[in-house]
Amino acid sequence: MPSPRFPIPQGTLDMLILQILSLEPAHGYGIAQRLEQISRSVVQVNQGSLYPALHRLEQKGWLRAEWKQSETGRDARFYSLTAAGRKQLAIEKDSWARLSGAVNLIFEEGSR
Amino acid sequence: MIRLFNWLRRGSLERGLDRELQYHYDRRVVDLTSAGIPEPEARRRVAVELGLAQVREEVRDVWFTRWLRDFLYDLRFSLRSLLRTPGFTAATLLSLALGIGATTAIYSLVDQVILHALPVRDPGRLVLIDWRGDHVVGGFGSFNLMPYPLCRDLQQQTRVFVGVLCRSDEVPVNLSAGGDPKPVAAELVSGSYFSVLGVGPALGRVIQAEDDTAPGASPIVVLSYDFWQAQFGAAPDIVGRKVLINQHPMTVIGVAAREFHGVDVAIVPALWLPASMYAQAIPGIYDERLLQSPTRWMQILGSLRPDVTLAQAQAGLQPWFKGWLEENTRRPGFPVITADRRRRYFGSALQLMPAPQGYSPLRRSLSEPLWLLFAATAVLLGLACLNVASLFLARGSARDREIGTRLALGASRSRIGRQLLADSVLLALTGGAFGIVLAPPVVRALIAFLPGNYADAHALHSAISLQLLAFTFLASVAAGLLSGIAPALHSGRDSLISSLRERAGTAFGGVRLRKCIVTLQVAFSLILVTGAALFVRTLADLLAKGPGFDTTRLVSFSLAPLKNGYSRADSARLIRRIDGEVRALPITRSSAVVRFPLLTGGSWSNPFIIQASRRIVTDRDVHENAVSPGFFATLGVRVISGRNFDGGDVRPAGETGRRRSAIVNQAFVRRYLPGVDPLGILIGEGSGPDVKPETVIVGVVADFSYRNLREDSEQIFFPIFEGDDFGGTFYVKVRGTSEQAFQSIRQIVGNTDPQLPIVSFRPLDEQVNRSLNTERMLAALSAGFGALALLLSLIGLYGVMSFVVTRRTREIGIRVALGATAGSAIRLILSDALAMIAAGVAIALPCVAALGRLVQSQLFGITATDPATVAGAALILAAGTLAAAFIPAWRASKVSPTDALRLE
Repeated sequence: MPSPRFPIPQGTLDMLILQILSLEPAHGYGIAQRLEQISRSVVQVNQGSLYPALHRLEQKGWLRAEWKQSETGRDARFYSLTAAGRKQLAIEKDSWARLSGAVNLIFEEGSR
Repeated sequence: MIRLFNWLRRGSLERGLDRELQYHYDRRVVDLTSAGIPEPEARRRVAVELGLAQVREEVRDVWFTRWLRDFLYDLRFSLRSLLRTPGFTAATLLSLALGIGATTAIYSLVDQVILHALPVRDPGRLVLIDWRGDHVVGGFGSFNLMPYPLCRDLQQQTRVFVGVLCRSDEVPVNLSAGGDPKPVAAELVSGSYFSVLGVGPALGRVIQAEDDTAPGASPIVVLSYDFWQAQFGAAPDIVGRKVLINQHPMTVIGVAAREFHGVDVAIVPALWLPASMYAQAIPGIYDERLLQSPTRWMQILGSLRPDVTLAQAQAGLQPWFKGWLEENTRRPGFPVITADRRRRYFGSALQLMPAPQGYSPLRRSLSEPLWLLFAATAVLLGLACLNVASLFLARGSARDREIGTRLALGASRSRIGRQLLADSVLLALTGGAFGIVLAPPVVRALIAFLPGNYADAHALHSAISLQLLAFTFLASVAAGLLSGIAPALHSGRDSLISSLRERAGTAFGGVRLRKCIVTLQVAFSLILVTGAALFVRTLADLLAKGPGFDTTRLVSFSLAPLKNGYSRADSARLIRRIDGEVRALPITRSSAVVRFPLLTGGSWSNPFIIQASRRIVTDRDVHENAVSPGFFATLGVRVISGRNFDGGDVRPAGETGRRRSAIVNQAFVRRYLPGVDPLGILIGEGSGPDVKPETVIVGVVADFSYRNLREDSEQIFFPIFEGDDFGGTFYVKVRGTSEQAFQSIRQIVGNTDPQLPIVSFRPLDEQVNRSLNTERMLAALSAGFGALALLLSLIGLYGVMSFVVTRRTREIGIRVALGATAGSAIRLILSDALAMIAAGVAIALPCVAALGRLVQSQLFGITATDPATVAGAALILAAGTLAAAFIPAWRASKVSPTDALRLE
């Protein structure tokens, strides 16, 4: 069975979805697979929790969805980033960088 | 908002989500099987991984948010359960519909009369400019009257105002456009009127500054949109058409914008004329230089500059106004005044008042009664809510088992409380919808109640506006929350196990809460019943008092020959001739002419100088009138001492001279000449040092009403045919019916001049009724509200007492078994009810005392806290509610101990 993985931190799933979609549009299953690949053996993403997140981001206007033919020939719901979504991703990346920087600083301070 | 939209398209959303999830599921299964996992195992694993049901729920929460979903489900559930109990639903709906409908109807009037801003540019910056202090100079019109030159000069104050306009009160003029002249309402306005208000034409053009310069130079007319539609059939070629106003030819230059009905909510003018046409519009005007004179006859409204506040504007104008006051004393017609009066005159200041709703005497006279009625309907709505709350509690106790079951299955208490709130909100909204349907006919009925002819003038309407809908919606939601909150808080408070164990209908069911509610209902009802008693007594007292003269078989009508092109002398001759012919009619018992009609709310009044042992100036205006010799006899007013007017007080038409004789009423003698023989004392109109008292008091008459039934103030009468009176109101005591009289009178007037319109022909009885319209509205509505309130609290008390009896059946059975009598059982139950009633009365009495001050000005002959009235109301309420409680008490006394004990 899978090696010990820790659950994805609260709130970072949205950021990861935006990041994945910033490369290219994808459907839900595709996003799940990419998450699986990227985070293999590091973080654990519940496949089910992906869909509420996608719909929430769509409602906020950061994602746009449309039905298109997928690689298997069946219609799938493809998500892509809107301009607002792109802006949001930049904001989240920035605040993430600042937060992790700050945390690192505190750790270094403490270990000195 | 988007969530509600989502709810509406939830079908397609659900289908999309199903397809999306199905795609994921299928792909995952294919991937797993291709990795060598057998298909059934793969399907099972994917299903666990995805958690389809949970995902769906979570996505739905995203779409609609949790509370909206729950709320909408609750509504659906409520609808089903309410439809299952139609009796309960009908009872609550009826209470709420009545409460909300009444509140909406009154609010509609409050909004139209008091709150509604004019459809003009920047109504928020409109201010009414009034004169606080001693005006010195008299005028004509209703309230807040100012001289025309002040309006013109204020227009130069551009530091303060964007613009200033002035307008006269409604001026009745005779309009003929081809046919016979018809009396219509005109408004004389300054040239700035339309531009300051930002009102444009629907057709042609509106009055401009150039139209208001030299007297008589601009014979032009702007029609109101409604009048153009009604009287000219919306003729597109109206602009340029010639019409006759009081027989003066004038040209229609345009039609005002459709939504504009003037600045006075009570009066929709048929047409506007430039102020410069005053001589043509008001024939016989005693002041022939109105545009220069200090005579006060117009209201002034200004539009403040955006960067100036009201306080700044008011302060900024005062220095300038001081100079203006000085200048005003040099105008033609400014009277000679004493030094003391002069000091008061120069102490005057301009006062600015916000007037986004324009100017309205209707608002002045009606705002208090309307707010009172609004408060009463709010209390009534509160009562209806209490009633619904107590019905809910009753139903809640019947539903205890259901609620207990749901609690046992894991529903939270707040969730169940919310369900009950959904019930009441749904009921209230439906009640509100019925209320909205109910409101327009009620508003129409209310408008018919209003004093004057506001309904005929289409000044007020019964249409439902968006704002009114919003109000009703808010009132309904508030009512829903109010009636649902107590039951919701109460729900599920009883122990879970006990409610499941007990049989439905025998649970404790919040009796204490219901008793509190009934107590409040009793208190509310007593307030409304007391109000009703006060207003009904006021109306009854006024009716019993009457106008002080005999109105049976008395009719009146008015003639204004000057408006048909007559000269003063010709007009005076015509009035005398018609007076003679009317008196000669076989149907006439007696007849008289007066200058100013009675019971219209208005009067002709001035200060007077009385030369008794010393020179007295009256401390307030004395109402005066000019009457023909038969006047007092026609009205059946007694001459107390001295003589009546007679042939010696008549001069030939066209001849004028000083007033020789006067008759005063008893109120005048009481106030100014107590203990003195008034006969032979000299009086003079005015208050200045130049006034010479040279009119002799020759008689004293009994008091009777002039402006309205409420007052019997000081009055002075002069002989009408001594001067050059040129119009008037006829009072005729007839032998037959008023219809027969009207036929004969129309014939006389028609034979004399077929073009002369007879204005407001009316029996006096009708006029007395009309003048009491506000009082009648208050009495009828408050009585209706009081009765409804009483009914609601009777039902409430009956309900809760029945419940108490059912619950205590066993206890009563045991008491009876142990030897208690039927009478003691009745006493047991009644004492319970009596405690509630007493508590309700105790709560209500201080409220009645506090509210009394608000209604005092609407009352006549009694104080608001009149002990007899309040006690009577309390007695009626106590008797009614006790009777309601007696029925269940009687049932309690019939409890048979064996049955009661077997029941357990």
